Amino acid sequence: MKTKTIRILIPLAVLLAAGVGFVLHTGLGNLSAIGWGDIALLCPLGALGTMLATKTLVPKALISLAIAAIAIVVLGRAFCAWVCPVPVVSKLRGIFSKRPADGAEALEPGNECSPAVLTDDERAALKRAAGSCGSAQDACAKKGCASCADVRAKLDSRHLILGGSLLSAAVFGFPVFCLICPIGLSFATVFLIILLFSGGDVTWSLVAVPALLVVEVVLLRKWCAKICPLSALMSLVAKANRTFKPAIDDAACLETGHGAACGRCALACEQAINPRHPELGARWSECTKCRACVDACPTSAISLPFLPAKGATAPQGARVQEAADRADDEAAAQG
Amino acid sequence: MTETKRETRLYAGMTRRTLCVGVAGAAALMGLGALNLTPKQALVRPPGGQDEEQVIGACVRCEKCVEVCPRGVIAPAHIEDGVLAMRTPVMDFASDWCDFCAEENGGAPLCVAACPTEALRLPAGATAQGTRLGVARIREDWCLAYAAAGCRFCYDACPYDAIDLDANGRPHVVEERCNGCGACEAVCVSLKNGSISSGATERAITVKPLPQA
Repeated sequence: MKTKTIRILIPLAVLLAAGVGFVLHTGLGNLSAIGWGDIALLCPLGALGTMLATKTLVPKALISLAIAAIAIVVLGRAFCAWVCPVPVVSKLRGIFSKRPADGAEALEPGNECSPAVLTDDERAALKRAAGSCGSAQDACAKKGCASCADVRAKLDSRHLILGGSLLSAAVFGFPVFCLICPIGLSFATVFLIILLFSGGDVTWSLVAVPALLVVEVVLLRKWCAKICPLSALMSLVAKANRTFKPAIDDAACLETGHGAACGRCALACEQAINPRHPELGARWSECTKCRACVDACPTSAISLPFLPAKGATAPQGARVQEAADRADDEAAAQG
Repeated sequence: MTETKRETRLYAGMTRRTLCVGVAGAAALMGLGALNLTPKQALVRPPGGQDEEQVIGACVRCEKCVEVCPRGVIAPAHIEDGVLAMRTPVMDFASDWCDFCAEENGGAPLCVAACPTEALRLPAGATAQGTRLGVARIREDWCLAYAAAGCRFCYDACPYDAIDLDANGRPHVVEERCNGCGACEAVCVSLKNGSISSGATERAITVKPLPQA
């Protein structure tokens, strides 16, 4: 089965399982709080919000936070690509527009900084840039690409919104983001439909909940990349993630092995990571392990090993990326 | 932080556009939070949800309590109950009532046990009889007994002797004994038996929120 299909089927299966559990009174819960009976793994953002709002430490919330942190360190932001229902709901956009929802995404402004074609000069510049990120960023900025100048920034709009949601919870005394969280609204829609048919529960919520969901993830085009505070929280913890990092077989790669221009992996990445030239793309902590780069590579040179292969030469990209990250951190510390 | 020598001005590493999206989003969430300062409707909450501030403050709207309730008497609040209360748990006695899971869990409500955030929490030793979820009210103009139809379903259903029948066989709620369990509302047949023609929009006996202290 194709990766893309699986990435749609898993969230749908999760929604279905939550719906069946709801009908049968199992206590299985949903992604806001998943578990069996009394055991509940709480959404980390919900856990933080509820504790900040009530100014108390809740044991189940603390345990949930610890488990979520471990899961993110081990799996990175895999939740975003494989489990979260939001990317699936946002595919509704493709139904209403003539453009294909996926391919277009990668070509939109914001990702155009990823060089599809590298000239010899640029390749030389990249080589010089190995170890010092500044020049690479300048090269990127010189291309006149305004929207990607901050693609490597440590913080972005999502982090501001994360801060806003936690501050609001602490000031006004309730987990504010939970009210509008599209993950919660997805499950709420399923439950409302079940209650409509099982109990004849007719309410304006049946309109309001799906409408809010559609506004957030279909009309606001870049919910995941620009707004979602949960993805911001995950990307902060995922800085400690070392697994499932795209590894490129340099001999097979069109650029390094054959001196040809390619860049399809960078175009395919929904998170604006550039696996071949990491210093030009977003940080690895944004990687959702979605395997889009693996599938896009024309020579199947990219793999996602659980851990970087030992002894093998670390991909040039990884070293450059780490150096770039370090340089960025230092610059931030100084600035 | 800003380096003007670059063609794109950056604010703390962000472009102006990114900064605007972030600030607007954060401001929207602060505004949404301010909803908590607006007056709220009183609602009949499940066991352990009698501290309204705690329910609103801790509930992450996971709807687990709704799911685990073996009798299906917990429902998510709707937008009609207030934007802020939406998807928090409220009691719905349309088809059954609450006895704190006496049969299903030995008198410890499953909803309280399932709540991951302690939005629903009972003090130690809390009992069904001692915890007031709300109080039953009778709409005399909708009640069949008041229309001399001889109905006494609510009287028979009440497990706490909180309904008295007067000399004419008409029910009255004894508020001191009523804990809002919903048994009377669950069995009330007024809506099915004609009160709708006299303009009734709900059953003649319903559990209402306790008057605010």
